[in-house]
Amino acid sequence: MIIVIGAGPAGLAAAEAASRNGSDIALIDSSPRVGGQYWRNRGTVKGYRSGRADQLFSKISSAKSITHISEATVWSIEKEGDLFRVNYLQGGEESSLTAEKLILATGAYDRSLPFPGWDKPGSMTPGAAQAMLKGSGVLVGKRVVVAGTGPFLLPVATGLAESGAEIVGLYEANSPIRWLLSLHALLLNPGKFAELFYYGNLLKRFKISLKFNRAVSSFADGSATVSHINSHFMVKSQREKIVHTDVVAVGWGFLPDLTLGGIVGCAQRVDSDGTTIFAVDGEQRSSVENVWIAGEATGIGGADLSLIEGEIAGLSASSQSISPSKRFTRIRKEIFANALKRSYPIGDGWQSWPQESTTICRCEEVTMHEIRESVTELGAEDSRTAKLFTRAGMGLCQGRVCSRNVSEIVGGLTHCSVTDGERIASSNRPIASPISLGLLGDGKK
Amino acid sequence: MTERITFTFNDKEFTCESGQSIAAALIAADNRELRKTRFGNEPRSIFCGIGICFDCVVEIDGVANQRSCLVEAKQGMKVVSAT
Repeated sequence: MIIVIGAGPAGLAAAEAASRNGSDIALIDSSPRVGGQYWRNRGTVKGYRSGRADQLFSKISSAKSITHISEATVWSIEKEGDLFRVNYLQGGEESSLTAEKLILATGAYDRSLPFPGWDKPGSMTPGAAQAMLKGSGVLVGKRVVVAGTGPFLLPVATGLAESGAEIVGLYEANSPIRWLLSLHALLLNPGKFAELFYYGNLLKRFKISLKFNRAVSSFADGSATVSHINSHFMVKSQREKIVHTDVVAVGWGFLPDLTLGGIVGCAQRVDSDGTTIFAVDGEQRSSVENVWIAGEATGIGGADLSLIEGEIAGLSASSQSISPSKRFTRIRKEIFANALKRSYPIGDGWQSWPQESTTICRCEEVTMHEIRESVTELGAEDSRTAKLFTRAGMGLCQGRVCSRNVSEIVGGLTHCSVTDGERIASSNRPIASPISLGLLGDGKK
Repeated sequence: MTERITFTFNDKEFTCESGQSIAAALIAADNRELRKTRFGNEPRSIFCGIGICFDCVVEIDGVANQRSCLVEAKQGMKVVSAT
């Protein structure tokens, strides 16, 4: 038996590939329906239809050897001899399942950077704006600013516009000139030209103008300040504009969720852009025997890369052969993923955006002033010490939103670059999802 | 045809379609604020929308710390802002 955790593009591709030789598969996911964030409720909302998803969904539902366990939140994984025991919560009940092999495809979430007003109602991630629309058919506001960096801003802005929102601004922090460094990646992935053309047409149709080198530098009471920034993300003085809007949807690429692989003990490494990811071999094997990892958790690369990684992981875990052309496809998609990292980097200048009173840790309401003081007055020299002094990263989200930002702020204040060890330590947590002590007590053998 | 759902949020009645999350239903009804923070008493709403950030937590039928962006609204649910 193989347990696949996560039913987004990587997990679905893995389950489908592994089922080709009849292997028994349990596909566990926290949502009511398969698709993950990328294909959430696909087909029901304008602009999000996908033939590729439909094909994969129908293969998954017709495969007799795949059991789909939905609305199940995995909170821990234990090793029992040669077996992995996966503990999950489903409808308030604690259950578990064992298998010889695991494929982890836990995906990613939007990275956020703090700015004055980022904690006010109406400020959210682009992923949130899209999830509300795809999952519930609800527009987060009539007037929306979409900002941050990366190609994900385009489907979010055009998707909201197709459903009737007025996109009052679309601001990319980086310059498109960076793509000149990566022309080879575009030539290896010519399909991307078609996507660019598609979104370009939609932007024209909805009269959305995409502006570069700009960021939302503050948000309050229905108005956003949009500032010109340089390539290091420092705000250029005197060049700003006030935009009236219900919502600012701001995102800075993605962070993978590493929790489950971390619990199992899979080795991690720091990617070229500072993101902590899992180290895997050419067949998506992690450092732990019988654990494969695919998708965003092995390097942010989008759905195309996730699909081929998932397929390779599924074939490898079910002892099927992997053709050279599949291996080449993975390399081709990886080259494109690396081009994205080069084209949409995050400049350290963001650390100058928060004011002293700006919240850095949303859960524990820790301000920039408190973090600064932990370094300058209390002598914290690394983010771990700063967290102990301030409680930053110790709330319900367990630092998923702020811990990388806190590490980088403390690095900036102490004039030290954040070490790989620190980046890896701040990405791991012993329990994947909050669970009550009662359930924890009752659920145990 | 989609079923209509009625639930209460802080004792006020809201209706939505079945399958919508509590947070989505409230935002669709122009009720953006979901709770106030413990220390600063600041208003908060949805932020990540996918269950990562826990900013949208509410109490649902007496159970605290439920993410309103993940939980689908059900008939007769009693939802209260977390304190």
